[in-house]
Amino acid sequence: MFIGRVIGEVWATKKVDDLGGKRLLVIEPLDAGKERPAPKVTPVVAADPLGADVGERVIVAFGKAARVAFGGDGDYAFEAAIVGIVDDVEAPGAPSSWGEFA
Amino acid sequence: MLVGTVIGKVWSTQKEQSLEGLRFLMIRPWLSDGSESAEPIVAVDPIGADVGEKVLVVFGRAARHAIGRGQDIGFQTAVVGVVDELDVAKPARRPKGSSGPPKERARE
Repeated sequence: MFIGRVIGEVWATKKVDDLGGKRLLVIEPLDAGKERPAPKVTPVVAADPLGADVGERVIVAFGKAARVAFGGDGDYAFEAAIVGIVDDVEAPGAPSSWGEFA
Repeated sequence: MLVGTVIGKVWSTQKEQSLEGLRFLMIRPWLSDGSESAEPIVAVDPIGADVGEKVLVVFGRAARHAIGRGQDIGFQTAVVGVVDELDVAKPARRPKGSSGPPKERARE
């Protein structure tokens, strides 16, 4: 599980059935080592049952936790899901980029 | 799940039994600055993506489920979608405080 910032959205028409109707957001993990947004990280694509907006900070869970976020432990063709929208983070010494786009 | 670009296909004759008949693609993960990772990954493709297309790739149980044989399979990476549109703000160029809700989109 990690905290990241929603940087965009992705659409796919040709896809496996399980992804039908799922909103897929692109999330860049917050990185304690960088003052500015990380220049080269692999963004994570996560299914979003909550309706997060671009620019918001979110909590992303993987695996079983992500499946439970979609209402059960059934098999789904995705392994990452947004499970929370962050209101505030109190982390003394955190880089300024953590709060910049909140 | 990540987004990557299909850069090629992989064929293998001598392989684990559960992998018979599957299509393998080589994919370079997309990075946040718009470039692509130097380390390609190999994924099974159950939906028929072409070289040059951007695709969604999943790992682990989600991948085994997407490959869809109702049983355990000796692979952990799968293509689950072909990307039509990737709408991503450029964080480096966005002035501080300019972020807001995304513009309305007529998509379901």
